[in-house]
Amino acid sequence: MVDFTNIDLDQLFGFSDDSNPLLMLVWILPIIIFIFYGQRIQLQVTSGEIKKAIKKLDSYRIEARVELIDHIKKKMNPSEDPTKKIDRFLDYFTIMPVDVDPAGIVDKVRHTVRAREDYSRKHVKSLSPEIDELQLTKILTLLEIATSLHMIFKIVNHMYLTAKKQNNYPLILPLQMILPFIMEEAEAITKAIPAFKMGQPVGDGIGPMVVGKMMLDIKKEKVAFQTVLGEKEFEGRNLFLLKAEGPGSTVGRPGDAVQSIVEKNKPDIIIMVDAALKMEGEDSAITAQGFGAAIGGIGTERFQIEEIATKNNIPIFAIVIKQSVKEAITLMTKDIANQAENVRSQIFEMIRDNTKHGQSILIIGVGNTIGVPQ
Amino acid sequence: MFSKEKIVVAFTIEKCKSCSMERKRNFKEGDYLFAELSKCDSCEGIMQIEKIFGESIEK
Repeated sequence: MVDFTNIDLDQLFGFSDDSNPLLMLVWILPIIIFIFYGQRIQLQVTSGEIKKAIKKLDSYRIEARVELIDHIKKKMNPSEDPTKKIDRFLDYFTIMPVDVDPAGIVDKVRHTVRAREDYSRKHVKSLSPEIDELQLTKILTLLEIATSLHMIFKIVNHMYLTAKKQNNYPLILPLQMILPFIMEEAEAITKAIPAFKMGQPVGDGIGPMVVGKMMLDIKKEKVAFQTVLGEKEFEGRNLFLLKAEGPGSTVGRPGDAVQSIVEKNKPDIIIMVDAALKMEGEDSAITAQGFGAAIGGIGTERFQIEEIATKNNIPIFAIVIKQSVKEAITLMTKDIANQAENVRSQIFEMIRDNTKHGQSILIIGVGNTIGVPQ
Repeated sequence: MFSKEKIVVAFTIEKCKSCSMERKRNFKEGDYLFAELSKCDSCEGIMQIEKIFGESIEK
């Protein structure tokens, strides 16, 4: 019988003998391999994960494209197959203005972005000229979703293939670090498709939902492109209520609208209600109050509103409803919808606290107004 | 490990403008906020869509 209690490990592995070549090889060989091929091994391991993510991104963009083409065929009844035109749209790019000399860049960005929007609207409408505004805005948003996913896939794939081609591990590191955030965003964008197709309010629509209800039963007028204004009285004060024109999928042009309102009737304060991204660890659908223009996007609308407010010395108050990226662009959650009444009462409290009788207040419901009329 | 797959179901909440009675039903295409669609079962008032939201339900 073998006595397992009496084994000498030093003797078995040759630990006591420094000249054991087999043991030396066991230690030294991996070190040599890692010195010369370490980056390539890391590249192989990392690229496996990135490849999986790219496959997912590819499926997202294909899904978005198919959904868009199906929706166009179903709702627009185009005279010819829209596939070729849509595929051309997906590859459109926007060259942002030179920022070496940043003076006046906001006007240039606004011009470029609006030119693209106008072009897309005109060409989508040409597929079926009798299409109504509601369907047109939905299709334009679906097109934006498909274009964004297409672009995300192309950029990530490019970064991955370049690193692989050059066998360059450091080149893949930034992609590896940013990929979880890109995937979160891409997944959220993909999940937004059903809500926009069905015309359901999204989390970002909480601002228009709050102001839209206040605008019911009053006369409304168009003050800027896809943007409407209503006027009503509240405890001796004059309220100007502004939001994008629903129930279509649009954010309107609040910057132009504020300019036109201030030129005619200068308000004493501006209150902006918008959805805001919550921080990690924060609960969803909580509200917060603050100062400054609460409005997202590329910054042109915010710039315009801030400039008008500064020139006219109008304080801007903000109420935000916190939510995640996914909640902001997908079907509104119950918690967010339940905050609407609370936010309305916060607005009235803010008005009482910061204005006197006879003064006027501009209240802006900022966000995408899909499924939210006025 | 054994958590069930969750799906989001869209609901529409209708509220009577007269008696404030609320009714919850599944969302139908064409529903949008503040639309006046039907009559109240209890007071014959007008029901208005108050909220549209999604709720996660285990499959």
